[in-house]
Amino acid sequence: MAVVTLAASTLGVAYMADRGSWTTSVRDAPEQPIPFSHKHHVKDDGIDCRYCHGGVETSRFAGLPPTETCMTCHSQIWNNVAMTQPIRDSWTSGKSIEWTRVHDLPDFVFFNHSIHVNKGIGCSTCHGQVNEMPLMYKVNTLFMNWCLECHRDPAQFIRPRSEVFNIDYKYPPNQAELGPQLVKEYHVQSLTDCVTCHR
Amino acid sequence: MKDDTPTSMSALVPLESLLDKPVRPRVNIEALRDKLAAGRGPAFWRTLEEAAETEEMTEYIEQEFPGLSGQIPQGVDRRSLLKVMAASLAMAGAAACTKQPKELIVPYVRQPENIIPGTALFYATAMTTGGYARGLLVESHLNRPTKAEGNPDHPASLGATTIFEQASILNLYDPDRSQTVMQTGRMSTWGNFTAS
Repeated sequence: MAVVTLAASTLGVAYMADRGSWTTSVRDAPEQPIPFSHKHHVKDDGIDCRYCHGGVETSRFAGLPPTETCMTCHSQIWNNVAMTQPIRDSWTSGKSIEWTRVHDLPDFVFFNHSIHVNKGIGCSTCHGQVNEMPLMYKVNTLFMNWCLECHRDPAQFIRPRSEVFNIDYKYPPNQAELGPQLVKEYHVQSLTDCVTCHR
Repeated sequence: MKDDTPTSMSALVPLESLLDKPVRPRVNIEALRDKLAAGRGPAFWRTLEEAAETEEMTEYIEQEFPGLSGQIPQGVDRRSLLKVMAASLAMAGAAACTKQPKELIVPYVRQPENIIPGTALFYATAMTTGGYARGLLVESHLNRPTKAEGNPDHPASLGATTIFEQASILNLYDPDRSQTVMQTGRMSTWGNFTAS
């Protein structure tokens, strides 16, 4: 009996810990080589997502900018401050800047950015309002049940293609009508087979 | 004069006591062999003495590990097996509560033209067999070739390959793969192979 109680309570605690922020890393901004601020670059400067994450429309991987992309601006502005020193070190030494991955799916999941972006799923649907994040963190667990929330009913979260990169997009009051309409127009399928993501 | 206060290091530890190790009991090997041959010994043992199950052995264990001799397992009973299983199942849940390990993204310093990380590039190339070239398309991820297939636009291939083109990708990654034709463990030539 004692063993059964112990096992049950351990599993209970394990379940809670499994959904808590300690394990999911939600709202946990890891240390980065440069304290890069999306808030500054996206909100204050108005730089489009695709200026740095250029693979997002054509590749499974949205991509991180090469040092060269940083240098397009930072060879001219803020080019003598300590904060941007790692960029210049990388540029002169030829050694990459090593960023810590914030949105890290398990290796047994095949995820493709391009199909989501091209079918009307906006950046902020999954990544949140990165234009309000001084340091990058994730707002969703990226757990399978979270993926399935949308895969079972994409109409809840779909938006017009023209709004995909609008980080401030708010769902209109008529999403209940617009959603199914866009799902039909973009030929979005509700893919919930295991093999869709686990190949 | 007798004084209990130690005056030197040697007085702290009597050297003789270090030599006074417990004597390993002698085992009657002949008797043990007879016993094992007759199939009367224990199924598993760690030492010959344990296998012998002698009076001396029990005494020796008691001397070395006081209070333990009675607990030396003589087979696992159902009840204790279930206890251990239940405990390890419960702990298995706890072990799953862990963070994903830290992973790095290492972008280019200068990204080469045409390379989009996450997508493949296909290079047209050719491979020769017996002096004839067969056109190939080789899939490449971040400049690492991963798959060779026939080039549909090449007249000798028309999109098809043989096993040699398919296996050629392994030459790049498997150093144990034979670099040449071998015959009974000696290097030979392709000509010898086809002639034989």
